[in-house]
Amino acid sequence: MTDTKLADDGLSLNRIGLYAVLLGLVVFYLLPLEAGIVTSFKSIRAYGQTAPFLPAVDGFTLAQWSSAVDQLSGSLFNSVLMAVPATVFSALFGSMAAYGLTNIDWRGQVGIYVLFVAGIFVPYQAVLVPLKRFWSQWVPLHIWLEPVWYLTGLGTDYAGLLALTITHIAYGIPICTLLFRSYYKSVSDEMVEAARLDGASIRRIYRRIILPLSIPMFAVTLIYQFTQIWNDLLFALIIVGPGDASVITQSLIGIGQSESVTNFPLQMAAAFVTALPTLLVYIFFGEQFAKGVTA
Amino acid sequence: MAELELDGLTKVFVEDDGNEIVAVDDIDVTVADGEFLVLVGPSGCGKSTTLRMIAGLESITAGELRLGGRRINERKPAERNTAMVFQSYALYPHMTVKQNMSFGLEESTDMPAAEIAETVIEAAEMMGIGDLLDRKPGELSGGQQQRVALGRAIVRDPEVFLMDEPLSNLDAKLRSKMRTELQRLQDDLGVTTIYVTHDQTEAMTMGDRIAVLDDGMLQQVGTPLECYHEPANRFVADFIGEPSMNFFEVEVQGDRLLADDFAYPLSNETLSTVGDRTELTLGIRPEDIELRTEATGPHDFETVVDVVEPTGDENNLYLTFDPDASEPDTFIATTGGMNRIEAGQPLVAHVPEDAIHLFDPDTGRAVKNRSLDDAETLGRAV
Repeated sequence: MTDTKLADDGLSLNRIGLYAVLLGLVVFYLLPLEAGIVTSFKSIRAYGQTAPFLPAVDGFTLAQWSSAVDQLSGSLFNSVLMAVPATVFSALFGSMAAYGLTNIDWRGQVGIYVLFVAGIFVPYQAVLVPLKRFWSQWVPLHIWLEPVWYLTGLGTDYAGLLALTITHIAYGIPICTLLFRSYYKSVSDEMVEAARLDGASIRRIYRRIILPLSIPMFAVTLIYQFTQIWNDLLFALIIVGPGDASVITQSLIGIGQSESVTNFPLQMAAAFVTALPTLLVYIFFGEQFAKGVTA
Repeated sequence: MAELELDGLTKVFVEDDGNEIVAVDDIDVTVADGEFLVLVGPSGCGKSTTLRMIAGLESITAGELRLGGRRINERKPAERNTAMVFQSYALYPHMTVKQNMSFGLEESTDMPAAEIAETVIEAAEMMGIGDLLDRKPGELSGGQQQRVALGRAIVRDPEVFLMDEPLSNLDAKLRSKMRTELQRLQDDLGVTTIYVTHDQTEAMTMGDRIAVLDDGMLQQVGTPLECYHEPANRFVADFIGEPSMNFFEVEVQGDRLLADDFAYPLSNETLSTVGDRTELTLGIRPEDIELRTEATGPHDFETVVDVVEPTGDENNLYLTFDPDASEPDTFIATTGGMNRIEAGQPLVAHVPEDAIHLFDPDTGRAVKNRSLDDAETLGRAV
């Protein structure tokens, strides 16, 4: 009896230790988040008087959130306008490229694939200057598409947003191709051959067989690409610049800075507003994401 | 319906480093209209490549492929009027059974949707999967998936069925059931069929004729019983039949064949077919060896049972001439399952002269096959 009791004690001691560590980790990871949320509901005065992670009883206010939404709504719209098509098209093109490089046999495809892979390793910083020059001198969309900007009433600033969208699509294709290729390799050759024998063309096989089977992988690439593109600041600064068409990451930098003191509660609220869409994407595609990752 | 001719069909694969590999070497076979031809051989013998060339999945390096007298080398897979059943079934996992079966008709014909639906239901009823039409492949058992794969081929109403080891993913019991069913189906539909397998039992039981392939080359084409009783060479003799034929390397000395452990006297008739050869390979099927208790004739040999493998209806006996060796050379004889025989027991093996096969040891070609008085009548009955 005493033996089991001792064993029980040992077990529960282990358990206590385990839970303590887990609890510590929970605090470690969640405290900054909690501090951010709590802070975003404080007035500037209350922020100065309370500890960052404690809620302010008197100074509770929704003003920071409404102010953040007000100030960011324009660039939030711009970001959606840019990130959604950029994500969808980079995933779609990546999927098509991977299909052509994996499930169809042709000469020299390995060489082409190597170029795709190399594209993944080109750092953002290395292409900043060429990129700027490309969009301003070689492909000046603000001039080429002038009627569009006037007819839609968007203004030439939006040429930069379109350029940014195309840049993100191009930059996203290599990694999407890599992700889709690893998935398409597991697609049975015999099934593709069966479709060929059934009379389906290469395009029809993609449309009717490969695409429907790629949904889990699309969830993976959509989440990954959306987060990347949404959070990007560097390309946006270079290509879009300040103005009506600036994206949310650009607006976030400047928010809460104009006043005599830095408005941390406003910055917190703005940060959450900025992060919200990526969070929503995870929630919407989470189930498919899990399937795609384990596939 | 049509006759399919393979005329000097050859496939050469060129590797990246320029190496050429001949996968299929100059194959000539004519498959008659409505015939069931089995392509059989060990793995890597080129049988699947041959089938894929017929289907159009693999280009033809040389030779001509004719369907109903017309050359179809250059036709796209979908335009060859063939339907293929794959080993893995290759069903589309995201589609229901009905969609799987309609896909080919939708992609390759202008048939209206209502007619497609009707054709699919008809074929599904024929395959006994009428109640599974709205399920997806993942919800079906292996046997049911197999039926869907067959149904998908039938729906196309092709001139030729191509089957690439379609039964090898099924368990033994289901396999033998499907074997019978496939034969009956092919008989009913009367569609020319080429069936690839590495399983000699399937080849023997299913085919109107068997084409035996080894190393890309056609070894023999014939009815199952021809291949069994009159093998063209040692490879066919070895490949067809279970358990395999026993082989002994022998030397011709006078009127006797001299092996390591025995001497086998030959009749004048056999001697004349041997001619002036000095070396031969003697072959005898396990089921042709008669077991006796006493050696009475010159074709009786005293042996000892090394191992007994009971299969129920039969016993496979591994017999040896030198029981004292630690790993003795053995040969196989089969006997009725009711005979009680134990390892270590001495037995006399009678090797009847009309059942022996003789092969040229260098070329492997058959010099003398067993006498066919009885076998011939069997062959006609097929």
